[in-house]
Amino acid sequence: MINHPEAPKDGDIVNAWRSVGEKEGSKSFRNVLDREFPNGDTLTEKEQEISRRSFTKLMGASTALAGIGLAACRRPESYIVPYKKAPEWIIPGKPLFYATSRPTAAGAVPLVVTTFEGRPTKVEPNPDHPDSRGTDAITQASILDLYSPSRSQKILREGNESSLSALVEGLKAVDLSKTAIVFGSDDSPTRNRLAKELAAKGAQIISYEPLTGEGLGKGTHLVHDFSKADKVLSLDCDFLGTDPLGNSREFSKRRMGGASDYKKEIAKDEMNRLYQVETQFSITGGMADHRLRVAPSRVALVAGAIAKKLGVPVTMDEVGEQEKKSLFPGGDGSEFDAWVSECVADLEKSGPKALVVAGTRQNETVQKLALAINEKLGAVGSTVKIAKTDLAQYGSLADLKTAEFETLILLTPADPGYDADKFCEEIFNKAKTTIHWGLRTNLTAWYSTWHIPAAHYLESWSDARSEGGTLSLLQPMIVPLYGGVSELDLLHVLNGGKFGEGEFSPAMGEVKKTFAALTGKSDDAAWQDALRDGFAAGTEYASGSASAGAITVTVPSAPTSENLEVVFGTDASVWDGRYIDNAWLQESPDPVTKLTWDNAAQVSPQTAKDLGIYDRLIEVEPKESFFFSKPFKRANEAHTGVDGKVGEGENAKAPLITVTIGKREVTLPAVVAFGHADHAITLPLGYGQAADDDRASATKLDQSKPVVGDVGLNTGFNVYPLRSAMNPYMAYGAKVTLTGDYYKIALTQEHNSMYGRALAREISTDDVAGKGSFEDQIKKVKKQGIDSHVPPNLSFYDSKGGYWSKTELAKKTNLADEIHQWGMAIDLNTCTGCNACLVACQAENNIPVVGKDQVAMGREMHWIRMDRYFASMEYEYEGGHKKKKEGQKISTPDWVQQNPEMVPQPVGCVQCEMAPCETVCPVNATVHTEEGLNSMAYNRCIGTRYCANNCPYKARRFNFFDYNKRNPLVKGNLYKGPLGEKQVGTAPHLQRNPNVTVRMRGVMEKCTYCVQRLESAKIKQKQQQKQKTLEAGVASTQVKVDRTKDLRIPTGSVNTACQDACPTSAISFGNLLDNDSQIVRAKGNEMDSIKIIQGDQYVPVRGSGRNYDLLNYINTRPRTSYLARVKNPNPEMPDAKFLGQASINIH
Amino acid sequence: MANFFPRWINFIPLQVAIGLGAVGAGAVAGITYYATPEAQRVGYQPQQPVHYDHNLHVNQLGMDCRYCHSFVEHSGHANVPTANTCWNCHEHIQKGSPKLAGLRDAMGVDVNHREIMDANGNPVEGKPIKWVRVHKAPDYVYFNHSAHLNRGISCQSCHGDVHKMEKVHHAESHSMGWCLDCHREPEKHVRPLEEVYNFDYDAEEYLQKNEVIGLDDKRITDPEEFGKFLVAHWGIQPKESCATCHR
Repeated sequence: MINHPEAPKDGDIVNAWRSVGEKEGSKSFRNVLDREFPNGDTLTEKEQEISRRSFTKLMGASTALAGIGLAACRRPESYIVPYKKAPEWIIPGKPLFYATSRPTAAGAVPLVVTTFEGRPTKVEPNPDHPDSRGTDAITQASILDLYSPSRSQKILREGNESSLSALVEGLKAVDLSKTAIVFGSDDSPTRNRLAKELAAKGAQIISYEPLTGEGLGKGTHLVHDFSKADKVLSLDCDFLGTDPLGNSREFSKRRMGGASDYKKEIAKDEMNRLYQVETQFSITGGMADHRLRVAPSRVALVAGAIAKKLGVPVTMDEVGEQEKKSLFPGGDGSEFDAWVSECVADLEKSGPKALVVAGTRQNETVQKLALAINEKLGAVGSTVKIAKTDLAQYGSLADLKTAEFETLILLTPADPGYDADKFCEEIFNKAKTTIHWGLRTNLTAWYSTWHIPAAHYLESWSDARSEGGTLSLLQPMIVPLYGGVSELDLLHVLNGGKFGEGEFSPAMGEVKKTFAALTGKSDDAAWQDALRDGFAAGTEYASGSASAGAITVTVPSAPTSENLEVVFGTDASVWDGRYIDNAWLQESPDPVTKLTWDNAAQVSPQTAKDLGIYDRLIEVEPKESFFFSKPFKRANEAHTGVDGKVGEGENAKAPLITVTIGKREVTLPAVVAFGHADHAITLPLGYGQAADDDRASATKLDQSKPVVGDVGLNTGFNVYPLRSAMNPYMAYGAKVTLTGDYYKIALTQEHNSMYGRALAREISTDDVAGKGSFEDQIKKVKKQGIDSHVPPNLSFYDSKGGYWSKTELAKKTNLADEIHQWGMAIDLNTCTGCNACLVACQAENNIPVVGKDQVAMGREMHWIRMDRYFASMEYEYEGGHKKKKEGQKISTPDWVQQNPEMVPQPVGCVQCEMAPCETVCPVNATVHTEEGLNSMAYNRCIGTRYCANNCPYKARRFNFFDYNKRNPLVKGNLYKGPLGEKQVGTAPHLQRNPNVTVRMRGVMEKCTYCVQRLESAKIKQKQQQKQKTLEAGVASTQVKVDRTKDLRIPTGSVNTACQDACPTSAISFGNLLDNDSQIVRAKGNEMDSIKIIQGDQYVPVRGSGRNYDLLNYINTRPRTSYLARVKNPNPEMPDAKFLGQASINIH
Repeated sequence: MANFFPRWINFIPLQVAIGLGAVGAGAVAGITYYATPEAQRVGYQPQQPVHYDHNLHVNQLGMDCRYCHSFVEHSGHANVPTANTCWNCHEHIQKGSPKLAGLRDAMGVDVNHREIMDANGNPVEGKPIKWVRVHKAPDYVYFNHSAHLNRGISCQSCHGDVHKMEKVHHAESHSMGWCLDCHREPEKHVRPLEEVYNFDYDAEEYLQKNEVIGLDDKRITDPEEFGKFLVAHWGIQPKESCATCHR
């Protein structure tokens, strides 16, 4: 039992928080904190009722069966069914890898796909590709879309099943000269070529996706190079998250200040600096050194002020005093001027090594301002290159208003019937025939005359250009599961060709033709090489030109709480709505709000108070007091909303609000978002596509024409009706009213809270009063928080358990493997909190989805949970203590407190060497391996849950139900026991990793460092003995095998799934006994266990000073450690002295 | 009142107790013996769809295991041969034999080895052979063949004298305790890599024919000593922790 030190009662110690409840210290939060299974260790009344009944039922059934069953007590026969003719390359039990790419509007994501006997099971980034940048959560989850049972499976005509031959006839009847074709916004050279040919025959070609802005116009593309950028100014661009731009791995490399391989400490001159201007907190904003929160229309204002200061000719009014004060509440207006002028001075200092990026969805003014600033700085041609693409030939959706056409062909991955409904009605009515091609039978599919099921990108031949323009090839790994047709096949047929016979796809011929034209190589060897590599080198974009021209900045009047500005946000889970049926994405908590399975309006705490939302969540005392005014009482008393309807954890609810703009309105729940701009509201798009309950703002489900499957049903609220095609990203003049109703939400932000201090640590490159210079701060990272007060941990390593052991080492320690000892280090300096690791882990380790109700109870199964802390300084500090004036602590200004920093921290099992979970397991189901893993023998676990109760990191997950066998997405299904609907044998089970056990009900599970990957790497290494014998040409008995030299796996040859997926290379993993490995350089090898194992051979390596253990003071000796985040503030900026201190002053 | 019950009734409870005790003890003894893998698995010899005779192919004709189980050195699975592997020989040997009907079905040919056509003149899809699984590790056991074969553990150690089996049967118990026996004493089973697929291997004979110099520079003649030498010389340290086989 671990007793964490009590937090001092005066309450102002914790200045890092995850939720409103934690910030305000609510009673229900304390309850959630203290219990491993909040409300999960006792059954609800409903559960008790149902369980008793089903238990009796089961007992009856099993007694009856026992009699019959015993008589038939015989081994069940199972079969081995080999291929008739062995397919080339397939070795049963061994994975086969193919290079391919996932096309997106932001450029192709180069991938290597793992397949087992023809089943794709996992995607990894392709490290050889010049634009390789890791993967994001959506790419990781795209493999589940392939198997989705709700994928479109039939050709439909007027909503009824039709056949391919009928479709061929239908396509023949298309008169291309009276046809408009709508494509997606991604850049595929073969599609461009075919579209051009179709355009030559008279077809009108358009490209459309709802959340892809046009930047500087179609055909002009900016290639950003973060590797050269010393200073980055981002104008509302979430380039690390929902608005991918440039290479995130290059950005993170610069973030590491020359220390990305941990060969030295971060050099502050080599580290880049990020200025972020944005409305809602994005993960890029979390990485920023200086973040300015502004309402969406104010982005242009700030950009204009910066441009003007730099000397760019811009026509705009001076920023008013009132405006300045509202951007820095509690300030005197000078802060804004200081922010702008110091930012400009810093950018000027770097000149061509600075970079300004504009959010792709921002309007033309901001795009031009960014370009003009880049030109002025000399960055064009240096950190940003202007490229020309072939996308200029496509028109935009608005062109269709005036165009004449009879047939409308929709090939866009978007769903115009849903995401541009008003506008589309008009266009749809114009067309006599509409042909829709898509992965889902979405709203557009049912509107259309024809619907053709699409082949997934893992089933198709195609090509795509990556961000820099490199031609990346897409090849099929599997024959279309549901008879989908690929886009290029369809275009081939429209262009006068024929569909392929059997498995043959004419698309391959088309792709090959483009390949030959682009590379000038028509020989088969070049094609085979490109297919193997996944790309053709030397095919980057040609350079283009663009000019900003004269810029006039006009902004609407400043928003107020009666006249709010609205941002339509790209959702990190469902994007524009196309991934609504992806259960992994739906269940992965939003990186910022931590909301699962729904969307909710985000408002700042101040605006929430103005609108009366805040006190629905929590009663602020004294009632009249301002949230941030002091003194502020935060004792552990009951704080519930004014009407007492809102709890936390399982009882979390959000008040429903109605947002009205003109005559249009939507109703949806609202959550408080720290760091959000005041007088603005963020509405994430893409949800509410179908509902069968009585929720407002969602389309009613039509059973005969289902637009979503089990996953997407009853998730969220549709906010597209508020959005107009003319102003797709923001809207003005919104009014908000509380409906008085509440909506149940599944928020994971308080789940598995750890109560300790300085969990996610941070330091600053700038001097911090009382904590010294950057170098001093690095030295003190290990001593932050409670670790500054505890005596050093003592080693308990003795001859424990080694009495019967065979080797000398095993007599000394139970960590007795002298060639492999695994360890991990997670660098918070580059971790953005994007969820890629979380979803990658889910794909690799067969982690089930549990559904919204179970998530609300804290039963999500993700082995990695992505903690996200907000932190701000509430008081001024001096010498590590609060500054006092006349005995009173000095509060920081409101604009500092209301603009907190955001620090993400992924936490999985940390593989404690002295694991508290192991000692309490009554059946030895969780024990240590010789290599330092805290392993799980699932088949031994009897589900006492003692281990989870004893885990200080709350890293263990329990299968409360048979989530794998019973479909948790069918309402009430889990409670039906054996009578529930099964999901065994459904398509998503084909995705399972065959090397990992699928766990059943009543079993505990957790991260084991991808032990299946470690074991196969070791086994592969053992095959070297045979190789060595053959090479030596002597009898095997004469060949000596040296364990360290021959059996240790080569440095860096095994990666965990999370490490592979990480788009910022934040995770290092490897062998702690291998001093050449990155993991040893990152975290050092000064652990007692390593010293004992290596004995005389021990060579100490210090590792990075930023390395620290989570909850070090409880002496669990975790193998996963963290590296502190470094903020790199500009010392001249007004907020510099408040940054980088999320944990530094915590005692 | 007269005695209502005869005297012998007094002994009934005792008799019942002894009887129940005997039945209980019998059940316990039965389960302890019959419910073990030893009793349940060893000797399991199901009927196969094609009567493949290991004795004929391996013992008499001298075929190597790896002709059919071709990936056993490379993969965790010991693959069962695809039908076309059998067909490599049987296209020419034992043509039309009734024993090979299943194989012909898989290849989609008739008894004269002509392709079977349907009414439209298209070749008929063959039906793959459904071999009945003899050795089955539970789902949560990740046994890897290549890891053992490449370190000097023979097929014979786990599968017995397959080369003499006319019809394959389960020879060893394959219980976890049985696995651990060998992981604890690998020296009893390890053999030179060249001899892994040799079912007639005899350590003593090997040592007579081949000069093996031990770590103490003396020639090894004793099989037990030979095992210990190989374990030390090759750095074999089999793991006993759970994650070795359970993931």
